Amino acid sequence: MSKKIWYYLRKTAIFIAGVFILTLVVFFISRLAPIDPLQSYYGERVEKMSVEEKNIARDRLGLNEPVFTQYFKWLDNAFHGDFGISYKYKQDALELIGERIGNTLILGGIGFIIIFLGSLGLGLWCARRENSLFDRIVCKLGTILSCVPEFWLALVLILVFCVMLRILPSSGAYSVTAANESGLAALGDRIAHLILPLTVVVLEHLWYYAYIVRNKCLEEIRADYVLLGRAIGLTKRRVVYRHCLRNLMPSYLSIMAIAVPHILGGTYIVETVFSYPGIGSLAYESARFADYNMLMLLCVLTGIVVIFFNMLAQILNEHIDPRIRAEQTVSGRRTADFRQEPK
Amino acid sequence: MGNILEIKNLSVKIPAHGGTVSAVRDVSLELKKGETLAIVGESGCGKSMLCKSIMKLLPERAVIESGQIIVNGTDITGLSDREMTKLRGQLFSYVFQDPLSALDPTMTIGRQIAESILIHQRNLGKEEILARINELLTLVGIKNPEERSRLHSYELSGGMRQRCVLAIVLASNPRILLADEPTTALDVTIQAQILDLLKDIQKKRNMSTVLVSHDMGVVARVADRVAIMYAGKIVETGTAEDIFYSPAHPYTQGLLKSLPINSRGKDVLETIPGMPPSLMRLPKGDAFACRNPKALPIDFIEEPPMFKISDSHFAASWTLDKRYKNSNLE
Repeated sequence: MSKKIWYYLRKTAIFIAGVFILTLVVFFISRLAPIDPLQSYYGERVEKMSVEEKNIARDRLGLNEPVFTQYFKWLDNAFHGDFGISYKYKQDALELIGERIGNTLILGGIGFIIIFLGSLGLGLWCARRENSLFDRIVCKLGTILSCVPEFWLALVLILVFCVMLRILPSSGAYSVTAANESGLAALGDRIAHLILPLTVVVLEHLWYYAYIVRNKCLEEIRADYVLLGRAIGLTKRRVVYRHCLRNLMPSYLSIMAIAVPHILGGTYIVETVFSYPGIGSLAYESARFADYNMLMLLCVLTGIVVIFFNMLAQILNEHIDPRIRAEQTVSGRRTADFRQEPK
Repeated sequence: MGNILEIKNLSVKIPAHGGTVSAVRDVSLELKKGETLAIVGESGCGKSMLCKSIMKLLPERAVIESGQIIVNGTDITGLSDREMTKLRGQLFSYVFQDPLSALDPTMTIGRQIAESILIHQRNLGKEEILARINELLTLVGIKNPEERSRLHSYELSGGMRQRCVLAIVLASNPRILLADEPTTALDVTIQAQILDLLKDIQKKRNMSTVLVSHDMGVVARVADRVAIMYAGKIVETGTAEDIFYSPAHPYTQGLLKSLPINSRGKDVLETIPGMPPSLMRLPKGDAFACRNPKALPIDFIEEPPMFKISDSHFAASWTLDKRYKNSNLE
């Protein structure tokens, strides 16, 4: 039991170290980038400011200090829960993100669930019917769609559904009037606003992951255990869903865990095109106009998500595929003692 | 004793890039109840294809061109996959060359056996299933079945894995066992154990076995009857005595001559010259003729039919033709 605690302690330590290194890298890269943070603080007024005024403003924002001092100050404040204000919105960065993160979670979360289940279903379906017409259409169409850039697809959808057909809203997360409406109508309004961004997010990724599932599954279908399963009287369907699925799940989970940041990154672009008020559009603005505090916080948050999901994938893998666990214990410092249970 | 399995003029073809592979050519065989029939031949001569076509587990592109497969008097050649699925396991089952890849690496042995039990007996309680698993593992000679059934395939040795595959296969109590080189991937001492186990179980369960092998030593140990296969064709069949003591086909003679024991005291091992022909471009006449130092002119023109030597012994070689024998006498 204590071994398990050690295991999770080690994982946590790696996690914290990872996040720490991330803050370091992002901090220095953003400070080295040739953008003037005053632009985001003063907007266009910055062009009319004299050098002296700019210097005073920099002093006030603490931007004239050496980068290391700035970093340690930021780190110190961050430990106390203070991530600074957004230069652009002059508001606490954390609060601002708190207001918007829900929208991103809804878009990304629903998108991810659809992609996760959809890819699995579609991939297995194709694998069971290798080289059938359906399989070929899905593969070709998928290749084409995943090569189309997200912003372009988004613009085409806006053109078709918002400009030509006028059946869906083109931007935002809800209508301005929605606040006055009753619960159900407001929900409908939200869904209407979600359809297009969600379609782009899903269409961009679904095929790609379905294709991975298909190929992995075909690899598994060629394995001898499938033949044995068939030989003892299992149907092909059952062998695929019971054995092949189990065998491809570890690699699928790790792929999907790594897909989380991908899909998240995708939502950032989609949010920008659809002016969807999530953290994606915030991230875009903060990087574009050097809104340092906001950028740092968003990078750290995104980084936490990435590192967390990678570790989650690993833990899940070890749980599902016992070979990984065995290899680790055999090759690691601890010897394989899992077989010598006294009995 | 009646025939439990009869194959009549079976031909299997696989379309491939640049031609069609004739994997099985006009094969006729029968398997009696309770006997062990060994199919012997070099790699790539169509032994595995023959077995897979009996269970209709051929690759999707492969086609049974002609012929019949008759099990217990019923023709199963035209059955759909769904109907075949019902027969598989109970009527016949298949043991593979490589037991590691034949086991699902993510499932414990016990669960895989349980799965096999449950296919054909749906309404068993948990206790009954556990008892059956232990019984099966004991049958295949695994000690401490309760503990072992909780292991995964990678935690077992090669011989143990093959025993587990056997347990999975035997769970559904098949009448015919198709064993496709079951000992090739194992080391020699384990081979003997597994062969003895197969023989033992066969007797206990009154099963019929088709044993595919390229190892004459293995065959001599367990087979009642032997069929020699060359380039997709059966070239000689007979009882084990017929084949080992009076081989009639030059290929069989070559195989027996190339057993290491016959090269004792010599510097080099006896071999059959040349390579088996590609099943995509078969030569005219007897496929073995070009490797046969004593080939007759007619071997290059026409394929020899099966000649009857005795009630149990048949071979396809022109040397058995009356005309050839007569010409030799003159």
